[in-house]
Amino acid sequence: MTVRTIDVRERVMARNDELAAEVRRRLGAAGVTAFNLVSSPGSGKTALLERTLEALGEELDIAVVTGDVQTHNDADRLARHTSRLVQAVVTGGGCHLDARQIGTALDAIDLAATRLLFIENVGNLVCPAAWDLGETAKIVVFAVTEGEDKPLKYPRMFREARYAVLNKIDLLPYVPFNLDRAMGFAREINPALEFFLTSALTGEGLESWFAFLRGQAGTRPAS
Amino acid sequence: MHEMSIALEICRIAAERVGQDRAPTVRAVGLDLGQEAGVDPDSLRLWLDVLLADPPFHGARPEISLRPGDTLKLSYLTVDDDGP
Repeated sequence: MTVRTIDVRERVMARNDELAAEVRRRLGAAGVTAFNLVSSPGSGKTALLERTLEALGEELDIAVVTGDVQTHNDADRLARHTSRLVQAVVTGGGCHLDARQIGTALDAIDLAATRLLFIENVGNLVCPAAWDLGETAKIVVFAVTEGEDKPLKYPRMFREARYAVLNKIDLLPYVPFNLDRAMGFAREINPALEFFLTSALTGEGLESWFAFLRGQAGTRPAS
Repeated sequence: MHEMSIALEICRIAAERVGQDRAPTVRAVGLDLGQEAGVDPDSLRLWLDVLLADPPFHGARPEISLRPGDTLKLSYLTVDDDGP
């Protein structure tokens, strides 16, 4: 019997990361800023995008890729607020989007006419943290109806994210949620995290979110 | 939750290496798994047991070493040149 060891040392995510690098290259070449929106289910990602599209869809040439698992509900909701193509990536029970799906979605988007791309990931604070999609940054949406300790429970997601949107702040008077504590936990995990406090329902706090997006969107090519 | 797709990717990489190496039988698949990789070791082991039962693996054993950080790497393959 000749038993021997083959040294492999290959990162399991290497292929996804190569595809993500290609997505990043395509977005960079077209001057598109891309945000990957991640959160638990029900934190208000779709509602936040609806308000964002209403206010800035035309101004910032926004396109959206959405990752509904079993339905087209999110894509249908978003389609009411934008004339731009919404390319739904239905993941059929999958727990995250991967870079290959985003690469395919980009084929259906006119990148030259896009300055800002939102990727609405599957609602899940675990799996999407591990998959680079080629985005400019991850934005974690976190509702005040959730536990203050979400950042401690899902540290990798809060470490991967560059921005956090604390949503549903209109409900603060009714829920036992301490904003300072929640933000403190998040900063323990990621001291550089930048926060936006919003209510996608009442519109509170959306102005600073919109101002941020105006500053981040790619520049329109000179025509 | 995504352990199945990770196990499939591990098997794809392993099969590619086995093919390059013309090794007849894989006895073990060695993995480095970070404790913050977002992957449940028991679930990953379960999926690997299922997927490694079939050719070209013939029941190879997953050997998972837990590491700090978020590493997720196919570290080595133990093969037997004398066949199954």
